[in-house]
Amino acid sequence: MSENTSAAKAAKAPAARYGGKGLNIAIGVCALLAVCGVALWIVQLTGGMVQTGMRNLDSWGAYITMFMFLVGLSAGGLIISSVPKAFGMKGFGGISKVAVWTSICCTVLAIGFVVVDMGQPFRVWELFIYSNLGSPLMWDIIVLGTYLILSIVYLWAQVRAEAGKVSHTALRVIAVVALVCAVLVHSVTAWIFGLQQSHELWHTALLGPWFVSSALVCGTALVLVVVIALRRVGYLAVDQANVEKLAKMLGAFVCVDLYFFGCDLLTSAFPNGSGAEVVAMLVAGPLAPFFWGEIVLCVACAVVCFVPSLRKNGLIVAASVAAIVGILFKRIQLLVGGFQIPNLDYASALTPMAATNWDAGMAGVYQGLVYAPTMLELGIVLGVVALGGLLLCLGLKYLPLKPAGEEE
Amino acid sequence: MHYGMAIDVTRCIGCHTCAVACKVANNLPNGIWWNRVLNDGGPVMDTASGVYPKNHLEYYPTSCQHCENPACVKVCPVGATYKDPETGIVRQDYDKCIGCRMCMAACPYTGVRSFNWEEPKFSVDFAVGDVDTPAHQKHVVEKCTFCYQRTSQGGTPACMELCPGRARFWGDLDDPGSEVSRLVREREYKQLLPERDTKPSVYYLV
Repeated sequence: MSENTSAAKAAKAPAARYGGKGLNIAIGVCALLAVCGVALWIVQLTGGMVQTGMRNLDSWGAYITMFMFLVGLSAGGLIISSVPKAFGMKGFGGISKVAVWTSICCTVLAIGFVVVDMGQPFRVWELFIYSNLGSPLMWDIIVLGTYLILSIVYLWAQVRAEAGKVSHTALRVIAVVALVCAVLVHSVTAWIFGLQQSHELWHTALLGPWFVSSALVCGTALVLVVVIALRRVGYLAVDQANVEKLAKMLGAFVCVDLYFFGCDLLTSAFPNGSGAEVVAMLVAGPLAPFFWGEIVLCVACAVVCFVPSLRKNGLIVAASVAAIVGILFKRIQLLVGGFQIPNLDYASALTPMAATNWDAGMAGVYQGLVYAPTMLELGIVLGVVALGGLLLCLGLKYLPLKPAGEEE
Repeated sequence: MHYGMAIDVTRCIGCHTCAVACKVANNLPNGIWWNRVLNDGGPVMDTASGVYPKNHLEYYPTSCQHCENPACVKVCPVGATYKDPETGIVRQDYDKCIGCRMCMAACPYTGVRSFNWEEPKFSVDFAVGDVDTPAHQKHVVEKCTFCYQRTSQGGTPACMELCPGRARFWGDLDDPGSEVSRLVREREYKQLLPERDTKPSVYYLV
């Protein structure tokens, strides 16, 4: 408790600036990596995307995987923060603003990954002039943009509410709108994949709710990691009871996510038709390490979250990281797996532009994974992630994210 | 008007001339083929289906199916891929394409759409094929256009013109008197992936 009171006192200090040497080093490292990422992106644009692992038969790769993953991470934070406010419940201590800030950083990252995936990023303005409002991708751009703006407004409103400039009712309304938007962002991202009849793995009505549940898993896990880390360095004070409450929620979300996965696998496999082929590819094909990895990590996370004697801070952080990695594995399965099974057997004219492993011949294309990222792609991914880290650290340093007084 | 094609698989000899005709007429860059010849025996070229001695070898020349209900058109965020209202041909505007590859993910016909993953390279240093073929661009999606540069001038697609087996028929499916309409009416046919509900405009006469 003494830890709590001292942090609360520190929060009353007028200066918003925070952090010592460690944070400055983190900012420097992230900035450097982000600059390297931009340089690699320029290499990709000038030399061509032929330098990535993507080809005609597996036309999306690491970038879109990370896009899905980060949209998931982003919504979690916002939902954790807005649900208690929207329903007038007791919150999780002073973590609300930090949770929203991580959410904003993740949204920026998600948009960043779409931009690096585009072949013609300088034509991005066309999205606003020639908008095809029937395209799920267009819906996503609209919802993601709205979501980013709303998150910023929500954060700003919280800061102003603490200063007494925004009423609690207004804050509550913003929280409700932000909550609806967070759920929409997820569903719409799922629809980019789920509405395509072209890939059997993607074409399921469950994809929307399943994306929301995955978002809750990795978003809650990210908030837990950030909150425990920030409490450790004395940035904010959170009751252990609140951490445990969050951990229990994480356990519940993980179970829902696994349940959805089970439902989907059973529905695909049971008729023993082409869906069985998809399930076989996931559980025993080249994506099996990701499949079983996800199951093991998620179950381990649930065990830690539900067994009271295991709910210690170190283990909770480990469980949260396990859940985040588990969900990342799920995203990889979904994206790469979608391209893994061709609808038409691709005979003839196999060229360096058509398939990733073309030089190993037809056998090479069919054995193992159809797609693996190249070093350039991994470098750009690291660069974009570093940009998010930079934003997160800058926010901690300069923005008034520390809890001020009692939460509603 | 609704242009469509009928391909008589009993006349196709699997010579890949249509693939080459398409490549030359449209001045396709290295590594890009809009038209490929698939066979019923699986992924390897010229593979028969069945078990020896009861084998069967049938070719399915495959390119964009110019669907009546195209999955690609619905998902393009900027309308770069669109259905030409006059001809029913599914076209691609290279100048508009933002290179998001949403259409490639949406199209169920594996491999008919291609992306220029690098600055287009050509095996000869002068353009070949039709003069008014639009220039190929880096980082945009492209595919079969039913040789729009020819058909909009009253011509026929290059793949059909050069087919040695005379297996391809092209014309207006809305006109009951056209050869293609007659063949689709009179002959038994197959379509690729009819269960995906895209209503392709390419018919395989069996």
